[in-house]
Amino acid sequence: MRVLLLIALMSVSLTTAFSQPGGKRKKNRVSYMTKDRKQREENKFLEKQWWLGLKGGTNLSRAVVTTHFSGVSPTNYPLDQAYKEYEEFKSFGSQVTLEGTFYFRQLSLSLQPTYSRSQFVYTNHYNWRDPENAGHSLELHYRQLQKTEHLVIPILVRYDLTTTRLRPFVQAGAFAALLINASKEVTISGTDYASGGEHEFSGDPIIVGASDLFTPAYYGLMGGAGVHYHQGNIRLSLDISYRYGMTNIVSPAHRYGNDRLAGVGDAMDDMTLDNIVVSLGCVFPLRFLGNAYKAVDNK
Amino acid sequence: MHDHTTSPIKSKRGSARTMLWLVPALVMFCLSCVEETTPELEEQKFARLYDDNRFNESLTPVDVAQTADGGYLVLARRRLPESHFAGIYLMKVNARGEFMSAQEIDNQFVHPVGDLMAIEGNLYFFCMDELTVQTHIARVSEDLADIAITPLQAGLTYPSAASADGNDIVLLSYDHVEKLSVLSRVSPDGSVITSRGFDIGVGEDVEEPIINHFIGGGKRFPFLAGRIPGGAWFFNGFYNYTFSLVFTDLSQDQPMGVVQGQHDDGGFSAVVPIASTKFAAARFNFGDNFLLPNVLLTPTGITSSVDYPGNTLPELVPNATVRILRTVIDDTQTLVFASETRSKQIALLFYEEATGALLGSHYLGFSNPFEVSAVIETEDEGLLVCGTAYLAGRFPRICLFKLPREELAEKVR
Repeated sequence: MRVLLLIALMSVSLTTAFSQPGGKRKKNRVSYMTKDRKQREENKFLEKQWWLGLKGGTNLSRAVVTTHFSGVSPTNYPLDQAYKEYEEFKSFGSQVTLEGTFYFRQLSLSLQPTYSRSQFVYTNHYNWRDPENAGHSLELHYRQLQKTEHLVIPILVRYDLTTTRLRPFVQAGAFAALLINASKEVTISGTDYASGGEHEFSGDPIIVGASDLFTPAYYGLMGGAGVHYHQGNIRLSLDISYRYGMTNIVSPAHRYGNDRLAGVGDAMDDMTLDNIVVSLGCVFPLRFLGNAYKAVDNK
Repeated sequence: MHDHTTSPIKSKRGSARTMLWLVPALVMFCLSCVEETTPELEEQKFARLYDDNRFNESLTPVDVAQTADGGYLVLARRRLPESHFAGIYLMKVNARGEFMSAQEIDNQFVHPVGDLMAIEGNLYFFCMDELTVQTHIARVSEDLADIAITPLQAGLTYPSAASADGNDIVLLSYDHVEKLSVLSRVSPDGSVITSRGFDIGVGEDVEEPIINHFIGGGKRFPFLAGRIPGGAWFFNGFYNYTFSLVFTDLSQDQPMGVVQGQHDDGGFSAVVPIASTKFAAARFNFGDNFLLPNVLLTPTGITSSVDYPGNTLPELVPNATVRILRTVIDDTQTLVFASETRSKQIALLFYEEATGALLGSHYLGFSNPFEVSAVIETEDEGLLVCGTAYLAGRFPRICLFKLPREELAEKVR
């Protein structure tokens, strides 16, 4: 699936690139224009335009718990001691985006289907002690890494703050994320003080497919900022966005559906997922296919 | 030329319209995929390990019963460092399996014996006095607020097994003075309606495995007591030097019929009467296990357990604990055999009651070792499996698995 998506994105990008007026020939034609006419054409070129391109980068995730659940139910200590501790924006994911944007006078409407891989981690800690014998003690730590793959489809409105060659912009919109795949990796470690000394141990991770544990889709809002740099006909872009998940990503019907995870007392909390997304990319104009920046609707 | 140049623009405008249509379609799709937690969903399926962070604590369930509020009450044994016998632990959880409260019964009372029987709004089980080993009946309110333990009016000792028979109780106990397995009909108020004793044989060697069953660390035997619907009573216990299934009408000192085991190395590990001579059963024989989902036993003759071959299951631990539940799954009268595997999982095997054919299986537990204690049908036609989970591989704790009706139906199709 990932390979197919990559091939598709590359094909579209290459097709777009080869459809543009190319290299020396374009330069020769431009050299015949006057400076004013060149400027007007460039303005026309930039005033209303379709852009298509590719971008990619990295993301960081944060799970926001809406309701706590626990497969381990304490009987002689407070329930919140069995709650999970989440690592926020610590595990890097990655994404690749096909960007299609319609631009008109500094405003853009952009559709950006994205293949996104995200990771987030939570931990549980348990200990057993004998109040009458300090040596009788065991600590156990569960580290659970969740890896999700989504097709994220954002629709964004973007506003270019300037019309200079280096254009900062802000953007906001909504997105839907469709689950492609998910897995969980549980690593159990601990310290045993009861078997004749302080002994730290760690087991091989339990790795399970976990697509059933997540909802098929979730949605949310996103916003961010970035810059475009115009280089010839193309734009190079760098943007940073925040994806704010608004619906539960965990499937309540399958919370206890994986026997391997239930056996270690794991039950995922209801949660939404936020991401910080950083992307670097390049987009190409689609609307001007004639020679020397000549707009097709000016002919 | 003109046509050629304008057509891509039209095409792009068409793409824009397509994109605009795509937006509401996508929104509708996403809304349909939104899954929210509901109380019903949380009650239908859960898996819980009940942790006690005391290093030396040991909790092993005996039985579980559903309460009127939809929750569950678990009867368990707990290790008493100062006693040879196990103490009594009661735990109440709500319908979602969330821990509500627990009671550790005074150490004067030990050795809790199932079944945990629901009779007229209360739950009953048996236990015994640690010093006198006299049998007591315990009445427990469903919220654990009211617990009353009273001695039986007759001096029955060493309670071994019990089950409800309407509003009465069938109780198996051991008389260590007369060396008798005693089967009694008991009222919930503690009065003994009728009682018969059956000779286990002469000599210390015969009694030793019975006493070892009661004190910690000894081999545990699948003692049972019950009644064929509308017919004879039976017990699974020691009789005539052998661990046997004994049928009686409770009017004579001699049994009506006996299915003999192999001293203390063979016999039945579970028995559920279906009709007058039809049973669902499981037996053990020198470590091997055999499931008999459809077996005809003779309540009026003398046979041997090895006369009933059954389905052998090498995956089960030697002399495995087996629990049998009669229930209806997917409109099929089904027998659920619950046991424990060598890989320390709880195995559920589903058999069609009419034919004894295997319909499916399901395994519970992973990473930690698990053992089965009880399986019951719930009000919503699901199953609740109660067992022991060895947290961190070493701490015996109570665990509950609730399986929904729909999932069970998939297992037997």
